[in-house]
Amino acid sequence: MTDQSAVLADVRRGMIPAHIYNDQEIFTLEKERIFSRAWVFVAHESEIARAGDYVVRRVLDDSFIVTRDEAGEIRAHFNMCLHRGMQVCRAEMGNASHFRCPYHGWSYRNDGRIVGLPFHQDAYGGEAGFKRKGQRLLPAPNLDSHNGMIFISLDPDALPLRDFLGDFAFYLDYYTKQSPSGIEMRGPQRWRVKANWKIGAENFAGDMYHTPQTHTSVVEIGLFREPKAEKRKDGCTYWAGNGGGTTYKLPDGDLEERLSYVGYPQEMIERMKTSWSAEQCRVIGQDGFMISAASVFPNLSFVHNWPRVADSDDVLPFISVRQWQPISENETEILSWFAVDAEAPEEFKALSYKAYLMCFGSTGMFEQDDVENWVSLTNTAAGSMARRLRLNSRMGILADDTEVIPALTAEQFAGPGSAHVGYSEYNQRELLARWADHLERPVTAAAALHVGTTGVGEDRRAIATRNGADASDDPPALEHVPSEDAAEVTGA
Amino acid sequence: MAVAKADFEACQGYANCVMAAPTVYDIDDDGTVVLLKEQISEEERSKVEEAVKSCPVSALSIEDE
Repeated sequence: MTDQSAVLADVRRGMIPAHIYNDQEIFTLEKERIFSRAWVFVAHESEIARAGDYVVRRVLDDSFIVTRDEAGEIRAHFNMCLHRGMQVCRAEMGNASHFRCPYHGWSYRNDGRIVGLPFHQDAYGGEAGFKRKGQRLLPAPNLDSHNGMIFISLDPDALPLRDFLGDFAFYLDYYTKQSPSGIEMRGPQRWRVKANWKIGAENFAGDMYHTPQTHTSVVEIGLFREPKAEKRKDGCTYWAGNGGGTTYKLPDGDLEERLSYVGYPQEMIERMKTSWSAEQCRVIGQDGFMISAASVFPNLSFVHNWPRVADSDDVLPFISVRQWQPISENETEILSWFAVDAEAPEEFKALSYKAYLMCFGSTGMFEQDDVENWVSLTNTAAGSMARRLRLNSRMGILADDTEVIPALTAEQFAGPGSAHVGYSEYNQRELLARWADHLERPVTAAAALHVGTTGVGEDRRAIATRNGADASDDPPALEHVPSEDAAEVTGA
Repeated sequence: MAVAKADFEACQGYANCVMAAPTVYDIDDDGTVVLLKEQISEEERSKVEEAVKSCPVSALSIEDE
């Protein structure tokens, strides 16, 4: 394997070797050292609201059934039959009490436990040959959720999700906790683009600089009020914990006036005021910054914008959650969800969905503008000339690393982390610094799990102990939080 | 009243019945069908018929008594 230490050193000083956006060896390292241990978003709890609801999602090549079992617990099962390795669930979403492998008919309850094993006695001599008791689909090594956002990690020793998110959790609330009921998500739309996955993650993390150029036409045709060059530099970028994002500076006003300015109706504003902390309210109401795009390392992004939806000056806000799912060094599957406060009026939800579709999703105007650049960039990064080029990603700092514009003080910005107004690439550097940290650290091989033999018990216990759990067979699962419409238990 | 019957010797543990009618059938730790109830209500009947039909070794039946 090529020594990548020079690449990582360049990245850390903000000089990006252009080939990292299309390099097979780098991608192999990313698979092994980022996606085998970072917390990766897989679904929102609202997508699997009822017992038996499931969605099938991937962490790179690994397919997982993310399901709510009959007891209401959320689980993520590795989608591979314990017998010959066939996918036991081939649909993308649905509701099922059991999953049956199409190959030889082994079946599993939606909590993962095996139920059907045809001819166990005749074929294996019963328990003496194959220990059927306690068999279950392999659980994701780690599973946790925050504000209903379900993440898994393939690393049984991963830090708790809340620690991984760190202070970004403060900003996550603006997107996912506008009321006590949180959000509901629709979608995802899912499509592939011939672009490297890092480009989207970096763009959403902090690229306020591209908006006036890339998205000029959207402004020119009058669909978007904000992204004029002089407006974007007045906003700030912030980085906190494992994520960061961009904001717009809003005109003078208090919290209510500013939330109303971006199009929220009064009843939603009332719920935001009680759902957010004093500091969260202050960032908007006093400091005047409204969150826009954001990314959480490695590949989850958010966007909050407020386009014009009709021929008036009225704007309407929408939220999208998106994931840059790597397929290869030069291809990404984009998953794009619409998210909306679950308590929002139905009329708002419908209009907000329209606003989202106009801007983002497979046919969204912003999406089209962005992807054109990202595909072209990825293509050019594959060649030999790109290997000579170190892209300057040092915007916002001088040669001696001092800031062009000093960071906002606690009086100017009430949120945690570090925030700067003006054009800068602080957040892209933060994201890639984490990328470099992960690539540098080798992974240890995971314990093997032997199906149906005497080896199985030891391995399972090893996983449970590393999780700090007792030595039982219970895999990671999320406790059931009762809600009114989660009570129905469905059949097959 | 319809009654669910099972041939416990014939059962090979496919569990198709559990998927079709989980309130009536289960599979025990030895891989053999368990009748969770025998008296079948009218509402359950179509699911039980589906279970009977789906059993690869014809171990299940419904009898009207």
